[in-house]
Amino acid sequence: MEEKSPITNRPIPQQALSLVTKQLDSGESVLFAVVGDLGLDGKYAQTVLFVSEKRFFVTDASLDGGIRAYVHTDVEKIEVKRMYGNARLSVTFKSGEKCKAFRSTYAVASLCDAAALFIEHMSTGTADLAEELDIVDATYEKMMSVCPKCGRTLLRPGADCIQCQSKKNLAGKLLKYVKPETGRLLFSLLLSLITTGMALVPPYITSILVDDILPNNNKEMLNIVVLVLFGTYIVQHLIGVFRGYMLRVSGDNIVRDLRNDVYRKAQYLPMKFYDKTSTGSVINRISGDTATIQGFMLRISQEVVVQFFLMVGIIAIMFAMNWKLSLLSLIPVPFVVIGARIFGRKIAPFYRRIWRRWSAVTSVLTDTIPCVRVIKSFAGEQRAVSRFEKYNDEWRKVDIRSARITTVFPNIVSFVITCGSLLIWLVGGNWVIDSNGAALSAGILVSFISYTSMFYGPVNFFANLSDSYQGALSSAERVLDILDTEPEHDFQKGNIPEKIEGKIEFRNVNFSFDRTKKVLSNINLVIEPGDIVGIVGTTGSGKSTLINLIMRFYDHYDGEILMDGKDIRDIDMEYYRSRIGYVQQEPMMFSDTIFNNIAYGVPDAPVEAVMHAATVANAHGFIALQPDAYDSMLGERGVGLSGGEKQRLSIARAVLKNPSILIFDEATAAVDSETENLIQTAIERLISGRTTLMIAHRLSTLRKANKIIVVDKGEIIENGSHEELMALKGKYYKLIQIQSMSEQLRKDKEEANFE
Amino acid sequence: MAINYVEGDQIRVTKADWNLVDIEYYNGEKFYGLEPRRLFPLSGLTKYITLLDVENKEEHAVIRDLATLMPESRAVIEECLNEYYLIPRIIRLLEREEKYGILKWTVETDRGVRSFDIRNRHSDIKVLYDGRVLVRDSDDNRYEIPNLNELDKSSMRILNMDI
Repeated sequence: MEEKSPITNRPIPQQALSLVTKQLDSGESVLFAVVGDLGLDGKYAQTVLFVSEKRFFVTDASLDGGIRAYVHTDVEKIEVKRMYGNARLSVTFKSGEKCKAFRSTYAVASLCDAAALFIEHMSTGTADLAEELDIVDATYEKMMSVCPKCGRTLLRPGADCIQCQSKKNLAGKLLKYVKPETGRLLFSLLLSLITTGMALVPPYITSILVDDILPNNNKEMLNIVVLVLFGTYIVQHLIGVFRGYMLRVSGDNIVRDLRNDVYRKAQYLPMKFYDKTSTGSVINRISGDTATIQGFMLRISQEVVVQFFLMVGIIAIMFAMNWKLSLLSLIPVPFVVIGARIFGRKIAPFYRRIWRRWSAVTSVLTDTIPCVRVIKSFAGEQRAVSRFEKYNDEWRKVDIRSARITTVFPNIVSFVITCGSLLIWLVGGNWVIDSNGAALSAGILVSFISYTSMFYGPVNFFANLSDSYQGALSSAERVLDILDTEPEHDFQKGNIPEKIEGKIEFRNVNFSFDRTKKVLSNINLVIEPGDIVGIVGTTGSGKSTLINLIMRFYDHYDGEILMDGKDIRDIDMEYYRSRIGYVQQEPMMFSDTIFNNIAYGVPDAPVEAVMHAATVANAHGFIALQPDAYDSMLGERGVGLSGGEKQRLSIARAVLKNPSILIFDEATAAVDSETENLIQTAIERLISGRTTLMIAHRLSTLRKANKIIVVDKGEIIENGSHEELMALKGKYYKLIQIQSMSEQLRKDKEEANFE
Repeated sequence: MAINYVEGDQIRVTKADWNLVDIEYYNGEKFYGLEPRRLFPLSGLTKYITLLDVENKEEHAVIRDLATLMPESRAVIEECLNEYYLIPRIIRLLEREEKYGILKWTVETDRGVRSFDIRNRHSDIKVLYDGRVLVRDSDDNRYEIPNLNELDKSSMRILNMDI
């Protein structure tokens, strides 16, 4: 039989391979290997966990002989213990002996999970080898779904890495926004070239004035020359006005398109992105960074060309006038250019730092201004102010530090340039005097000096270009961070089933947000169409995560979630979400009318459908009492309505959508009993015939549920009807006991208050 | 419900399996298989150590300050914490490479040389006010620079590119 090379995550070190080969019995082969990165002593080292059909081996320098072998069937229990920044493979043997077999960082912890599962199953002696290997294979394949260049997780194994593709051609990506403006930009470029050409005329005329017209007292010629200059200036400035307007239009178009794209992308980014990025920084990127990039793109497409031609034109004229003086005037150029490079390198980190600090300032703003009620209720004004002042001051410090460089550098440059023109006066002046105007006329010297000062315009521009380039680069980096982040995966766009009946099935679902801690483990669950399912559990038990997965806010879980037998990731996302009505614990309202808020999910809903939805949701009554009724504007976060009222609006939203599946995430957690009753009756009207999932804190709200799921520490520990679970006398029973006591207390209190 | 704070010679701690400990109160009451963990892994390394009953996933007690424990007990807890928390201290930054928007650092730590990727320098490198720098790599491993002001010049130059 041909020897198959083992599955591995990285090339196996030769030394480890030869150690294990010596240990293998005949007919035994290594099936897979985990190349780890941490020794048992916690120091970085290359270690390997080899797994064969009947044994597993660990190579680690701290072991006797560098290797140790264990037999699968000796194992009583094997598990990966995830600690902080590292994980350990702990083995308990049937003999009672315990051992720490392997240690690694999080980088390969999930492979260790697969190995542990394999060994555990093989330890029974009855497991199907091929089946077990398939699971291991799948885990490895998943681990390999990363870009070989940059290491980021790909859409699917073997897919192109969006990031690497695009970063190769950052300019190309941004040029896309310049393209539609090509015509306008080319035209204004042409105009600039005309004005540039015209700008070269006056100094030349000056030399004629000084050398011919003034010494010869030619008044007629003087008038003509002045008129020509006047005409030149008029044309130059008229073109300038027109060109400025055109550039503004192009620039605005570019920034509009860029902003639209970034905003559109931000809408489709997965929740994972928002979990890790503050909304303030996203807002900043859309509003501020796009403008910086636009400014830079205009500079590149216009100024660079213009300044380049200006520079070439001036050099040509200067050399034509006097090549010796021209060479002299070039002396300061290397200093200016080298200085600009040094400056560019020094300033780059400052731009990042300034942005970071400014981002911190705006985060304080976006955090605190909307939460002003909380701040006031805790008399936290002074603290908020100090926090803002502290961040603002941090920003000021960094900005001032960078100002030291940004202001000193241009001044040094202009000092060097001025010294250059002094040199020309000195040398050229001597030539004029010595040769009495024969080698160099006074007029040419004067116009030469004018050209020299004009020449440093472009030099200075190119020297400072690196400055604006750096600024634009860090802006581009942040904008592309949004543009290049993969949007929510819509694997099967356009795959729309005829109808969603509402059968939901979880098969071996495991989920963790960031690989450090499993939030859900081994979720297996079947919900039939029309079932009303109550999800019960303590805070942090994983109830909401369960809902988040059904909503497809997170797609990177192991296992499958099926809707009517189809993997939910295979259904068109827009259609899928449109079939689910989701009522959150804290309903968010937009700054819009009540009508539009209800009609959010169905913007073209008929008026009466909206009113009907409001009626079903027990909201019509209070809306009608508002002075502006359905036209009432809601302020930020719906100020002006009570929590219960907002909740009923959000239920009306769900009613209007006429979804196949309804999800209530603690919809009545924050309201009093009377409002709870109103909401409860609204919910009961709504749920008939629909698959409904209700997360409930108060178990009394689950009276209609025909199925109860008890979630604890990420696992489903009980599952059945109310009666079954009561009979079980488990966690649910305990929760009911506790709640009915506190419920009684609450009722007594409320009654006492009425009296 | 109150937290069961323990300190000083109220308990004697002995090592159990893995990173677990057994404790015995001065009145002879014994508890087995508790896992010491930091309640403030970033800001308090030796204060407020919780002792978790991993089987029942409940907290048994909280040690206010390791310094108050008897030396043997303290050593046992520290050994367990050192096992549990792997936060290599970065001594020097050796190399920095930025490609395709992802940052790669090669650093020398107290546990050896290591190369790792940083996904997002804005959120994965945090500078605290006392000069401590916390770094998280793309695999969610943690690293720490105890005090950036004590870094050598070349490391500082690399670090300055990103903070």
